Amino acid sequence: MTRASAPDTGPAAYLSRRTGLIVPLLLLVTGVVLGVGTLTMDVPANVTSPGPQLFPTVIGAGCVVFAVLLGVDVLRRPEPEQIAAPADGLAGTGTAPFTAAAAPAVPVGDAETATSPSATANPDPDPDADDASTEDATETRVRSNRWAVTGLVGTIVAFIALLEPLGWLLSGTMLFWGVARSLGSRRPVFDLFLSLTVSSLVQLAFSAGLGLSLPPGVLAGVF
Amino acid sequence: MESLGNLGDGFLTILTPMNMLWVLVGALLGTAVGVLPGLGSAMAVALLLPVTFSLDPVGAFIMFAGVLFGGLFGDSTAGILMNTPGNSTAIAGSIEGHRMAKSGRAAQALATAAIGAFIGGILSSVLVVFFAPYLAELATIFGPAEYLALAVFAFVAISAVVSESILRGLAALVIGLAISLVGVDGMSGAARFTGGLPELFDGINIVVITVGLLALGEVIAVAARRGTKEDLQVMPSTGRLWLSRKEIRLAMPAWLRGTAIGVPFGIIPVGGSEVPTFLAYGTERRLGSRRKDSLFGRGAIQGVAGPEAAGNATAGTAMGALLALGLPTSATAAVLLAAFRQYGLQPGPLLFERASDLVWALLASFFVAMVVLLVLNLPFAPLWAKLLKVPRHYLYSGITVFAMLGVYATSSKILDLVLVLAIGLLGFAMRRYGLPVAPVLIAVILGPLAETEFRRAMAVSEGDPTVLVSSPITIVLYLVLVLGVTGLLIQRARARRRATAAAGPAA
Repeated sequence: MTRASAPDTGPAAYLSRRTGLIVPLLLLVTGVVLGVGTLTMDVPANVTSPGPQLFPTVIGAGCVVFAVLLGVDVLRRPEPEQIAAPADGLAGTGTAPFTAAAAPAVPVGDAETATSPSATANPDPDPDADDASTEDATETRVRSNRWAVTGLVGTIVAFIALLEPLGWLLSGTMLFWGVARSLGSRRPVFDLFLSLTVSSLVQLAFSAGLGLSLPPGVLAGVF
Repeated sequence: MESLGNLGDGFLTILTPMNMLWVLVGALLGTAVGVLPGLGSAMAVALLLPVTFSLDPVGAFIMFAGVLFGGLFGDSTAGILMNTPGNSTAIAGSIEGHRMAKSGRAAQALATAAIGAFIGGILSSVLVVFFAPYLAELATIFGPAEYLALAVFAFVAISAVVSESILRGLAALVIGLAISLVGVDGMSGAARFTGGLPELFDGINIVVITVGLLALGEVIAVAARRGTKEDLQVMPSTGRLWLSRKEIRLAMPAWLRGTAIGVPFGIIPVGGSEVPTFLAYGTERRLGSRRKDSLFGRGAIQGVAGPEAAGNATAGTAMGALLALGLPTSATAAVLLAAFRQYGLQPGPLLFERASDLVWALLASFFVAMVVLLVLNLPFAPLWAKLLKVPRHYLYSGITVFAMLGVYATSSKILDLVLVLAIGLLGFAMRRYGLPVAPVLIAVILGPLAETEFRRAMAVSEGDPTVLVSSPITIVLYLVLVLGVTGLLIQRARARRRATAAAGPAA
C-alpha cells in the first residue's frame, strides 16, 4: 500500500528498488494478527500451563522482530537498479541470489519514466492480485513481468469463482488456456483445443480411473 | 542379519507387476522433473499427494521413492548439456560437467553423473538398511525433551544453512510456524486463528501448503520472469557412452569419496543435497590440483563424479533419518513426511514396528528404483534433454491445472483453493525476494510437534524449564547447534570481509 500512493518523483524511485519491503510488511501483519488472536482467544478453563497461548505469543513476537530486522536490511541494501544478465535456470530453486553483476548507473530520469506508467496504469482489478502486481512495479523489468503475473493470478481467481457453477470441464479448460496465455502462448485457437483435451483427460482419469468426483456444473446432465 | 530377511520380504512385496509399474512411473516422472529446470522432486511429490490418495500406501510410497531419486538422476542432464542445472543439487556437478560437454565429452559426463548417482544411492541405501533399525531403536528412548531438541535443531540448522542470509532463513521459518498455528490446539481444544471458520479447525491442509509453496509459487515466479532471455541451447551429446578404463579409474575414487561426504548429511537437517554436493566438488578440486594432468577447469571427470554421488547418498540417508527418527532433513523429506501423515502413519521409531511391511518394501524399492533409473538415464540422457523443448507455457499450465485439481480433489472445499492461491503468492514473494522455501515446510511439519513436545515436557516437570536440557542427548544437540551456527557466522563474516577487501582496491 505504501507504494501505490507514492508519487513518481524521488520516493517512487527510492521505493521501487525496495519492493522487498513487502516481506517485512507481511511479517508485521502476521505478528499483529497473531498478537490480537492470542489476546482474544477462547481458552478452555481447565488448561494446564503452558497453555495454547504461549507459542502464538512467542511466534508473534518473532514475526515482529524479524519484520524489523528484515526491513532494515532491505532499506540498507536495496536491489540493484538493473540486473545485467537475466536470471538463469537457477533462479527457480529459490536459493540463487539475484546476481548483481555490474549494475550500470541509470540516469534518474530514466528510472522515473520507467516507473511512472506502471504507477498510473495499475488498476488492480482484484484485491487478491494486489500484492502480486504492485510489488513488481520496479524499473528492472527484466525480471518482473507485472502483466503476466496479473493475468495468471486473475485466471486462477476466475477459476476458483467459476469451478462450482461451471463445473470442472469448462473451468479447467479456462484455467489451462488462461495460464498458457499469460505465460506467453501466442496460439489462442490451438490452445483452446489443447485446453479442452487436457481438461477432458483429467476428468476421465479422475472419475473413471481414480474414482474421485469433480464438480459437473452446468454440464451435469451431459455426463 | 534380521535386516536382510526383512529386506528380502520387502523385495517380495514390490516385485509384483503392479508395484514394478509404480516404480517405473515414479522413476520416469522423477527424471522428468529433475531434467526440467525449476521443477524438483519435492514439487512432484506434492502434486502427486492428492492423486495417490486412493492408491494403497505401498504403491504410493515406492512411486515417491522413484520420484525422489529420479529427480537427483535427472537434474544433472540439463546442467551438463545446457549449463542450466535442473535443481540446486546439480549446480556443483554441472560446473565441470558442462565443460566436459563443451570439449565434446558430453556422453561421458552424463554417464559419470548417472553412475555416480547410482553408486551414491545404492551405498547409502545399504547403510540405511543396516543402521536405520538401530537408529529407530535408539530413538525409542527419546522423550519429549529430546524430540523438542531435534525439532529446534532442524529449525535453526535449515534456516541457517539453506539461505544466503540467516536472517531470511529465520524469517521464512517464522512464517512457517505462524501458518502451522492455525487450527484447533490438540492439547487444550482451543481454536486458534481460525477466524471462526469450521473449515480451518483441522488447520491448513499440508497438501495446500506444499502445492501452494512449491508448485503455484514457482508458476507465478515463471510468469514474473516472462520475457527474460532464456538460453535453451541444448548441446549435442557427443562422445562415447561408455567410460574407458582410465576414466573409471579416475572417477571411481571420486564416486566413493562423494558418497562418504554425502552420507552423514542425510541425517543433519541442512536442507538436502546442496551443501554436500559443493563439499564434494571442493574436495575433488583440491585433490585434482595436486595432479599434474588435472583437467579441472577443462572438464574433469572427478568434478562430476563426486558431487553426483554425494547428492544421492544424502538423499538415501535422509530417507533413513526420516523413517527412523521422523526427522525431515530437506524440503523433499518434509513433503514425504506429509505423505506419511496423509496415510495415517507417523515416521519414527514406531513405524518399524507398526508398518514394518511398508518400511521394508520402501527400502527394497530404493534398490529397484536405482537400477531402473540407471537404465533410464545412462543410455537415454540425451533423449531426456529433449523434454526441454516442451514449450514452457504448456508445461506450467499443466502444472497449474494439476495443482488446483489436486487441492480441490483432496477436500472439495473452495476455501482450500483460495488458500492455495494465497500461499502460492507467498511462495512467489519469497522466491522473488530471496527467502528460502524449505524452512517454511520444515516449520509447518515440525512446528506442531515442537509445541506439543515442549508442553508435554513442561507438564511432566511441572514447569521446571531445566528438564529441557537435562539429558546428555539434548545437551549435545544444543551444543552442536550453537557451535555450528557460531562457526557459520564467523565463516560468513570472514568471507564478507575478504570480499570487501578484494573489491576495495578494484573500485
